[in-house]
Amino acid sequence: MMRHLQKYSPILPVLLAYGVLLGIGLAYPGKWQLIAQLAFYCALGQAFNLFMGMTGYVDFGYVAFLGVGTYGMAVSIYFLYDKGLGIGLIFIGLALAAVFSTGLSLAVGAVALRLRGAYFAIATIGVNEGFRYFVEGARIWNGADGMIFSRHLRKAVGRETAMTLSTQWADILVFGVAVLAAILTLVYMRNKVGYALTALREDEDAAKVMGINVTKFKIIAFITSAVLAGLLGASAWALKLTYVYPEDVFEIHYTVEAIIIVLLGGAGTLLGPIVGALIYGASKYFLAIVLPGFQLLIFAPIIIVIIVLFPEGTVGILKKKIRGTALEKFII
Amino acid sequence: MPLLKVRNVTKRFGGLVAVDDISFEIRHGETMAIVGPNGAGKTTMFNLINGVFLADEGQMIFEDVDVTHFPSYRRAHLGIGRTFQIPRPFASATVRENIAIGGMFGAAGSEVNVDEALEMADHYIELIGLTPHRDKPAGGLTPIEKKMVEIARALAMKPRLLLMDEAMAGMNPTDIDKMVEFLKDIRDKEGIAIVAMVEHIMRAVAGLAERVLVMHQGAKLVDEPTQEALSDPKVIEVYLGKPAEEFHA
Ligand SMILES: Nc1ncnc2c1ncn2[C@@H]1O[C@H](COP(=O)(O)OP(=O)(O)O)[C@@H](O)[C@H]1O
Ligand SMILES: [Mg+2]
Repeated sequence: MMRHLQKYSPILPVLLAYGVLLGIGLAYPGKWQLIAQLAFYCALGQAFNLFMGMTGYVDFGYVAFLGVGTYGMAVSIYFLYDKGLGIGLIFIGLALAAVFSTGLSLAVGAVALRLRGAYFAIATIGVNEGFRYFVEGARIWNGADGMIFSRHLRKAVGRETAMTLSTQWADILVFGVAVLAAILTLVYMRNKVGYALTALREDEDAAKVMGINVTKFKIIAFITSAVLAGLLGASAWALKLTYVYPEDVFEIHYTVEAIIIVLLGGAGTLLGPIVGALIYGASKYFLAIVLPGFQLLIFAPIIIVIIVLFPEGTVGILKKKIRGTALEKFII
Repeated sequence: MPLLKVRNVTKRFGGLVAVDDISFEIRHGETMAIVGPNGAGKTTMFNLINGVFLADEGQMIFEDVDVTHFPSYRRAHLGIGRTFQIPRPFASATVRENIAIGGMFGAAGSEVNVDEALEMADHYIELIGLTPHRDKPAGGLTPIEKKMVEIARALAMKPRLLLMDEAMAGMNPTDIDKMVEFLKDIRDKEGIAIVAMVEHIMRAVAGLAERVLVMHQGAKLVDEPTQEALSDPKVIEVYLGKPAEEFHA
C-alpha cells in the first residue's frame, strides 16, 4: 500500500505550488487578479499538456474546447435560471461543459486523429474558426450577439452569491481544474495509458507492433484534455465574466499561449506546465507594466529563443540535473 | 497444424512487386531463416506477417485465425512479436520502461499490470546484460545495446512467433556466436515456439536455423532444410554468386 502511494509522490510539489499560489492570493487581495490569471495559465498548460505533451500531437483548435465549455455554463445559467435550481445551476453548467467538450472532441478526433503529426496539426487549425462561424452563422446560442447572463445568475442565486461566485469561486474552480488536470496526468503516467502514450509519441508504428491500440489511447488523452479545457472555460470565462461572445472564446491566441507554456515548462512532464505558466504569466504581467503596448514585440522573440535553446523545457533540464538524487522521486 | 500459414501473398509498391505470390508455413517451435540479397523483400515479408503492411493479395492464418486484415496491434495480442532491422526503441523511455511496454501490451498484456511488467522487465534486462543501463533513456544507448533492448522488449511480449529482422547485422563473429546461443536458450527456456529470423549472415543461419527460405526479387526461390539450402546451386547462384564454402565461413 505504501509502495503504491509512493508512486504518486510527484503530486506533492504540484499541490505545494498551487497551495502557495492560492495562499498568496488570499493573503494579498490586491494581487488576487494576478494570481487568478496565473492559475488560469497553469490549468490551461496542464490540460493542454495532457494531450500535446503526452502524445506529441499539436492541436491548434484546442481553444474551441474552452469555447464550448464556456457555452455549457452559459446555457445552463441563461436558460435554467428560473427553474429554482439555485447553486445547482453551476453543477449543471459544469456537466454541460463536459458534455459539449466531449462531443466536440469526439467529432474532431474521429477525423483528425486518423492523421499523423503535421497533418493532424493542419487539420485542427480550421476547427476553431469553423466552429465560431458555425455558432455565428447558424445563430445557435444567440449567434454573434453572444449571451449575457449576469442578470440571470443574480436572479437564480441572489446578488451576494452571484458576486462571490464570479469574483472568487470562479477562480477557485480554476485552481480545482488545475489540480484535477495534474492528478489525471500523474494517474495516466503511472498506468498503462501513460506508457502507451509515451510509446506512440516516440514511434507510432513501433507502438502498434508492441500491441498498442494507438487510436484508442490517443482518443482517451484527447477527450480528457478536451473535458478539462471545457471545465476551464466554464469557470474562468463563463462564471467569472457572466457573458460570452463567440469572437472572444474561439480566439486562437489562447491555443498559442498554451503551446508556449507547455514548451517553456517541458512537454510531457507533470511540473512543466506550472513552471511554464508562472514564467509566461509573470513575464507578461510585468512587461505590460514596464513596456505597455510593446510587450509582445519583445516577448515573442525571447520565447522563441528560449524554446529553441532548451527544447526539453525548464523541467526537462531540471530532471536531468537531479537524476540519481533523492529529488528524482518528486520531480517528473 | 502450423503456427503460421502464408498463402499466395503479394505486396506491391506502385509498379514494384516487393513480395510476389509467396506461400510457406511456420511450424510450432521451429527456427527458420529467411535469407536473400538486399532488396529481396525480406523486411517487406516481415511487415506483412506482423501487419505493418496489409497484403494486396493472399491470405495469412495464425493458429487458425485469419489475420489477413488484422492491424499490427491485434496480431501482437495473438502472439506475433518482432524486432526492427534498424532498432526503434522508445527513445525517451528508460530501458526498463521500454521492455515493460512489451510486457504490458503484448500477448500477455491483458493479464499484466504496470508493476508486474516492470518486474518482468528486470528479468529480461538481466538476461541481456544491460542491468547497469536499466534506468537510462534508451535513446542514448549504442546501436548494439539498442538491438538488445529491442529483443528483450519483443521477448517480454511473450510471443509465440518472434520475427527478428537482421538482429545480428553489424556484430562481430564472437558476438554472433553469443547471440545464437542466447536465442537458442531463449527459445527453449522461455517456451517461445519459434524464432524466425531474417539474416544474411550465414554464420548465424547455419548455427541457428533448421530451415531456410530463400527470397529473390520478391519471390520464393527455395524453402528447405538449412544444409540443403546452403549448398543448393540455385541459392548459390543468386546469393552473391559465391561458392558454397564461403557461406559456411
Ligand atoms: N515502404 C516502401 N515503399 C516503397 N518501396 C518499398 C518500401 N519498402 C520496401 N520497398 C521496396 O521493396 C523492395 C524490397 O525491400 P525490402 O523488403 O526492404 O528488402 P530486404 O529486406 O530483403 O532488403 C525493395 O526494392 C525496396 O526498395
Ligand atoms: Mg531488410
